[in-house]
Amino acid sequence: MSNKIYAFICLIFAWMTGADIHAQVSGNPKSFSDTYLLKNCFVIPQPGQLLTGQDILIKKGKIAAIGTSLKAPFDAVEIPMDSMYVYAGFIDAYSHTGIARPEQKDRPKVSDTVYPQNEEAGITPQVHAGDSYQSSDKSVAEMRAAGFTLSNIVPRGFMLPGYADLFNLGDEPGDRMLLKAETAQNFQFTPIRGVYPGTVMGVMAKFRELYKNAELFAAKEKLYKDMPTQYNRPEYSRELNALTDVTSRKLRLFVRAGHTRDVYRAMKLSSELGFDLVLADVKQGWHYLDEIKKTNTGVILSVDLPEMEKTKTDSVSSKKQSPFEIKKAESLKAYLSQAATFEKAGIPFAFSFIDVKTGDIKKNIRTMVENGLSEKAALAALTTYPAQLMGVAAQTGTIEKGKLANLVITNKPYFDEKAAIRYVFVEGKKFEFSEKPKAKDGGKYAGIWSYVVEIPGMTQEGKVTIIFENGEYKISMYDNTRPGDVITAEDISVEGNRITFSSNVNMGQPIHLNFDLTMEDKTYSGTVTVSGFGAFPVKGTWISKPNNL
Amino acid sequence: MLKNIIFITAIFISGVVQAQNILIKNGTVLTITDGVKENTDVLILGGKIKQIGANIAVPKDTRVVDAKGLYVMPGIIDAHSHIALDAINEFASPVTAEVSVGDMINPFDVAIYRALAGGVTISHAMHGSANAIGGQCQTIKHRYGVTNPDALKMEGAPRTIKFALGENPMRVHGEGKNIIPNTRMGVEQTFRDAFAEGRLYMQRWEDFRKGITKESPEYNLRLQTMADILRGDILIHCHSYRADEILMLMNVLKDFGVKKICFQHVNEGFKVAPELAAFGATASVFSDWWAYKFEVYYSTAYNAAILTKNGVTTSINSDDPELIRHLYHEASKTQRYGGLTDEQALALITINPAKQLGIDDRVGSITVGKDGDIVLFKHHPLSVYAIPQMTIVDGIVRFDIQKDPDDMRMEVSPTASESSYYQEMYGEEEDSCLQGFSEWLMDSKTK
Repeated sequence: MSNKIYAFICLIFAWMTGADIHAQVSGNPKSFSDTYLLKNCFVIPQPGQLLTGQDILIKKGKIAAIGTSLKAPFDAVEIPMDSMYVYAGFIDAYSHTGIARPEQKDRPKVSDTVYPQNEEAGITPQVHAGDSYQSSDKSVAEMRAAGFTLSNIVPRGFMLPGYADLFNLGDEPGDRMLLKAETAQNFQFTPIRGVYPGTVMGVMAKFRELYKNAELFAAKEKLYKDMPTQYNRPEYSRELNALTDVTSRKLRLFVRAGHTRDVYRAMKLSSELGFDLVLADVKQGWHYLDEIKKTNTGVILSVDLPEMEKTKTDSVSSKKQSPFEIKKAESLKAYLSQAATFEKAGIPFAFSFIDVKTGDIKKNIRTMVENGLSEKAALAALTTYPAQLMGVAAQTGTIEKGKLANLVITNKPYFDEKAAIRYVFVEGKKFEFSEKPKAKDGGKYAGIWSYVVEIPGMTQEGKVTIIFENGEYKISMYDNTRPGDVITAEDISVEGNRITFSSNVNMGQPIHLNFDLTMEDKTYSGTVTVSGFGAFPVKGTWISKPNNL
Repeated sequence: MLKNIIFITAIFISGVVQAQNILIKNGTVLTITDGVKENTDVLILGGKIKQIGANIAVPKDTRVVDAKGLYVMPGIIDAHSHIALDAINEFASPVTAEVSVGDMINPFDVAIYRALAGGVTISHAMHGSANAIGGQCQTIKHRYGVTNPDALKMEGAPRTIKFALGENPMRVHGEGKNIIPNTRMGVEQTFRDAFAEGRLYMQRWEDFRKGITKESPEYNLRLQTMADILRGDILIHCHSYRADEILMLMNVLKDFGVKKICFQHVNEGFKVAPELAAFGATASVFSDWWAYKFEVYYSTAYNAAILTKNGVTTSINSDDPELIRHLYHEASKTQRYGGLTDEQALALITINPAKQLGIDDRVGSITVGKDGDIVLFKHHPLSVYAIPQMTIVDGIVRFDIQKDPDDMRMEVSPTASESSYYQEMYGEEEDSCLQGFSEWLMDSKTK
């Protein structure tokens, strides 16, 4: 192969991966070696420890050595790490990373809503998250850029969505990145509207029935296996067979339990039926600390936090707060200090990342720290505890010789506000991150704009605030009739005069909106696609420069 | 002020309020089952009524409440409410015996406190009337302040279940989804099918247990619940209006050997009062609420009095988080319409609903040994001037008009906006067009 062709291939590859992964990634050309020597780092081998002047040798995806003044093998790529901090790669204990949001099509018509098929009722415990996991999904690169090297991935779905699988967040395809299959079974109090069971109480009743039938199924299978001539062959059921992993306590059941009563209901089902419970995606779990502790229940706390309202500080001191305002402030404080409350109660926990924008992860964890969570416990929630919970503590979660080379490297201690991630190693594969490039247009669309959405038979109006800060656009929308409700835009992309972004709103059920706008000087027009309903025209005009919030 | 609120919040949120010992001195005690006792003391120890009499000595660690000039009556019991529930109807099937609103209890619902302010200490939190056989209901004690949903459940109260006759199940399932029941005869058939299947299910398990069959049947929580009704383990509370349907259901129950039933609403109960009495059925009615749909036009405010005078155990219920605050006024209407005595009228909201819920051995009258559920009234509770002053549940003061700050919610959402009473009760007005739009599309798709 001539040098020219080789260089060309390298270039193409660099361009492809760069474009594929994330704007922040400077490009990760395939390395010529799988051996790296990280020279002179601060190492945090596990929460609460710090070693200085350490070298780390990475070989064949594992940590081959840690020590001072390690000698570089001949094939090692040496990376000077002076003043950088090396942590064990973060572990996401519960998310849909790498599973694309399904196309919002009309659900197929259910012919019998009273007695639907299992799948029509959201009962699919036999499904595996890995079946729909794509390492090329942009959420994988985003999580990796946020320091995550492993995700425990839960299938998207309803009541019983299926098995969770634990994936290394590398960029190689499919099962090569699977660290452990079937880490847990999953359950959520999510009915499908219009189909039985259609409410949370229906879901609970149906779950009890399925659970008992899974126990009966296992017993019948065993009888038949032991004495096939004596018994009839029991009717096979993939669903019940998958659930026997829970009834036999081979796997723990992760129950998505965001709010107070979900948490209580999950614990109630567990104590009634006897399965091993992990409360997942907990947002409001502080009312039942004693019960959680007593029952040794596993906990995964949500990193999604309620938005803090920006109050003008001068008015607070002068105006007396109403009982309502005091309660509201207490409530917010309880949410923000949930992790601290669990730490204080001596209940270990991991973190979940559903409903949270990747860009907010660090900000939110810092908010938890500001509200009393120790950095040590925060780091444990990102590394050691999820490793234990998933049963992979012998392989990962700390920086030790022989463990997976899953590392995250920052220029300042991670919890420092200004710390930036410079390298992430996923099973020894290096991903490098440079300073974030600034948006090129200098924020010329910043301002307050009106919007009008034309929906057949009605018109919805409001304001769009476009802010340009630190080289980034931020967009929020306010409906005129509900000024208190703010819709925050995600996935904002500005290319030329085209702005696209998406947002999620909860209207009894989650609705996904995709905006695609073409900007002129003082007007814009475009469409908003509402998940499940189609696209509607949207237009607006420039009102004013943005207020300083 | 801030200190005060935090203090009160702390008491309520913690929920670990110890059962108090309370001596209520010198009140006019309306015992319900043992007449009216002037200048009488009631002593509550460890959550139970210990002694009733004059000049009871104050035991150690006992709070004394001066009830001079006040009326002391047993906590009011509402045999039909939907407060403190996160879900009411499992719409998705005409028979949903397996679901239970006991799973849906919301101890944070401020409606519980509002009910306490109306002297109500117990309510029957019911499944809705969308289905011919709805879900199981839950008798709750209004222990506002506890955060554990199960702590609201009245321990030992019998299981109850909601049935529904007439237009509601027909509209939801027949009109809505074009499945049975589309007519009143379809409603009857739905009952008969469910009972027959329940009986068969019971038989199948019996055969398996006796070794007649070798393989266990599949477990079915719905039919299991029907079997429990057939065994008499669950009391039926049936949403009903028309006399012909009431007779129909009694015939169905006779055929399947089921004896325990309370008819709810039962607006045409006055037409079949002797038949209800002969069956041993009871009735829980509105004082004067009707004409909100076609099958509820033939009604009278004399219903409760006619039923009572025909020997039917009758109660007056709210079915509503607003009405629940003045059930004592509702009861008093039976004196204007039907001339019931004070004792008969008060029984409609105390001992009679207790009988209908199977808890009359525990509550419903001021009797030694019963639960310390008491409400103190300024003016006689059947007077239009009556105002509840203090409501006690299991010996714990849960409402005191002297300590009743503005906002008694246990917690609010950190993103909540200040809402009016109206919004709290009936939900916000639908002023977001997308919201209505999506709901409508969703619904049209399921039809």
